[in-house]
Amino acid sequence: MTSLSTPRCFWLVRFAARETAMDPSEVEFLAEKQLVKIIPNFSLDKIYLIGGDLGPFNPGLPVEVPVWLALNLKQRQKCRIIPPDWMDVEKLEEMRELERKEDAFTPVPSPHYMELTKLLLNHASDNIPKADEIRTLVKDIWDTRIAKLRLSADSFISQQEAHAQLDNLTLMEINTVREFLLDSLNCMYKLRSNLQPGSRKGQLTDY
Amino acid sequence: MFCEKAIELIRELQRNSEGQLPAFNEDGLRQILQEMEALYEQNQADVNKAKSAARSDLIPSIKLRHCCLLRNQRCIMAYLYDRLLRIRALRWEYGSVLPANVRFHMSAEEVQWFSQYKKSLASFMRSLGGGAGLDITQDMKPPKSLYIQVRCLKDHGEFEIDDGTVILLKKNSQHFLPRWKCEQLIRQGVLEHVVS
Amino acid sequence: MDTQSYCPVPPGVGMEENFLSLDDILLSHERLPVRTECVFPRLGFLEKSSDTQDIPEATKMELPLWLSKGLYERKRKVLSVELPKVYREGWRTVFTADPNVVDLHKMGPYYYGLGSQMLHFDSPENPDIAQALLQTFIGRFRRTMDSSQNAYNEDTSALVERLDSLEKVLFRSGQNGLNSFQSWEKGQASQLTASSLVLNYRKRKLADVQT
Repeated sequence: MTSLSTPRCFWLVRFAARETAMDPSEVEFLAEKQLVKIIPNFSLDKIYLIGGDLGPFNPGLPVEVPVWLALNLKQRQKCRIIPPDWMDVEKLEEMRELERKEDAFTPVPSPHYMELTKLLLNHASDNIPKADEIRTLVKDIWDTRIAKLRLSADSFISQQEAHAQLDNLTLMEINTVREFLLDSLNCMYKLRSNLQPGSRKGQLTDY
Repeated sequence: MFCEKAIELIRELQRNSEGQLPAFNEDGLRQILQEMEALYEQNQADVNKAKSAARSDLIPSIKLRHCCLLRNQRCIMAYLYDRLLRIRALRWEYGSVLPANVRFHMSAEEVQWFSQYKKSLASFMRSLGGGAGLDITQDMKPPKSLYIQVRCLKDHGEFEIDDGTVILLKKNSQHFLPRWKCEQLIRQGVLEHVVS
Repeated sequence: MDTQSYCPVPPGVGMEENFLSLDDILLSHERLPVRTECVFPRLGFLEKSSDTQDIPEATKMELPLWLSKGLYERKRKVLSVELPKVYREGWRTVFTADPNVVDLHKMGPYYYGLGSQMLHFDSPENPDIAQALLQTFIGRFRRTMDSSQNAYNEDTSALVERLDSLEKVLFRSGQNGLNSFQSWEKGQASQLTASSLVLNYRKRKLADVQT
C-alpha cells in the first residue's frame, strides 16, 4: 500500500466519475470481447466487422474468436471450444497455493478469469475436462483474493494511508467493493478535513 | 417553534426513501408560505422601529426571524427539487405514459415539467446515430439474445410485434418475443422474464 | 431493476452541508442546548416554560442546529452553544476506548454529522472532538465492512440497528456490491425484472385497499 502508478491512477479517476458501480453483467459483457480458440465444423470466408475481422473458418482448423461468438456458435453446435491454457486443474491448484501464501495479490491468468470461467463452464462444460474441479478452484482463488482485498481496505483506513496499489486486481474484483470503498474513503476524507481548522469557511451560510 | 411545517414536508419524502412520489402537499406549502409572510411582516415592522426609534435591541429577534425565512426557503426548494428527481426517475421506470394513480400525485406544474422532460429526452434520442434515432431507455443491461421467453402476469390485451403479427397478452400465457418490445412491459410488471 | 433511476442529493458529510440534501436538512434539525446572551424581544412564545413577552437573557433552551448556526457570531455573541454530552470528554474517552461497544444509533443517529457541525462553534475542545470522530469511524470501520460483506444470509438487523446514519449508508453500498455479484454468480443478472418503484406502488395500493 504505497504508490499508485500513473495509468492505474487515471483508471481510478475514470471509474470515480461514475456515480455507482458497474453491474456485474456489464463487466461480463466486456469479458466477452476476450479471444478464445475454437474448432469449427463449418467453412466460411473471413467476415469484416467494426470490432475486427473474424475467421476464415475451416472445419477442423483451430481459429481465435471473441467469446461472445464462440458461445453463440457452441449453442448452435457449430464448434468445439478449446479452453484457455490456464483453465487446467494442476495450474489452478498452483495458483491457489501461491495466492494463499503471498500477502500481495498474485498475477491472474486472465483479467477476466472469473467471468470466463463462468461463461465457458456454463455453456461449454463438455469441452472442458474436470469442469467441476475447475469451478471450485477458481472460486477458492476468488475468495482468497476478496478476503485479502478486505484486509487491505481495513489497513488502508486504519493507518490513514493516502495511496493504494491495485496491481493485479481485476475489474470484477474492484467492482464488487468499489461503491463501498469510495464512500468510505470519502467519509474519512471529510472527517480528516475536520482536523484542519484552517480549511473552515468563515461564513455559516446553511440554514 | 417556526419552520415545523417545513420539516414535516421533508420527512414525508424521507419516509418514501425508495423514490415513490407522495401526493403533492399543496396545503403544507401554503402554510409555510403563510408563515413566511407573517415572519416578513413582523421583520419589516421591527426594522422600521429599529431605524426610526433607534431600537437596536430588536436586532437579535429580527435576525432570528430572518434565519427562519431562509430555512423555510431551503426546505421548500429541497422539497420541490427532490420531487423533480423522483418524477424524472418515473420516465425511466414506467415509460412516457404514467398510470393515473401516479399522475394524481403531481401538481399541475410537475405534470408540465414531466411532459417537457419527456420531449427533450425524445428529441435527444431521435438525434442520435446520425438522425436514425436510438432508444437509450432500452437494453439497460447488456442483452444476451434478441428474443426472450416471457409470461403474462395480467391481462394486457392485444400487442403488435415488428412483423405486424398481433398476439393476445392473456394472464398466464407464455410467449417468445423480441427483447426490445418486452423490456418496458417487464419493468411495468405486465410481463415476467422467464429464464430457463 | 437493481439500478435505481432515483438518486437523491447526497449529504455533505463533515462541516459543509449540501443545501438540497434531505438528509442534511434533517440533520440540521437536531436540537442543541443553548444559552441566550441577550434579550430576544417579542419572541417569548418560542420558550414554552415562560409566559413573558420576551426571551430574557441567560435563558437555557434548546434550538435546532440550523438556527444556532444562523444566530451564532464570534464577535457579537447573542447565544452560546453547549456541547451535547456525547461529544464531551467523558463520552469521548468511552468512544476511543472501544468504539465498537457504543450504540451510535441511540447516541446519534447523526453522531458524525452533528459532531462535525459542532466544530462551527468556537471551543477549545474542537481539535479533540474532531480527533474523536475520526478515531471512532476508523475503529468501527472493520465491523461495518465485515457485516456488509459477509452477512448475505445472516440476520444483521441487531448490528445495523447500532450504526450511525452515515455507517448505514456505507453498509448499504457494501451490500449492493455483494448482492449484485452474487446474483450474477447465480445467473440472475441477465434476467429482466420489474421496477422496484412499480412494485412498491402496487404494495401501497394494496395497503390502501386493506385499511
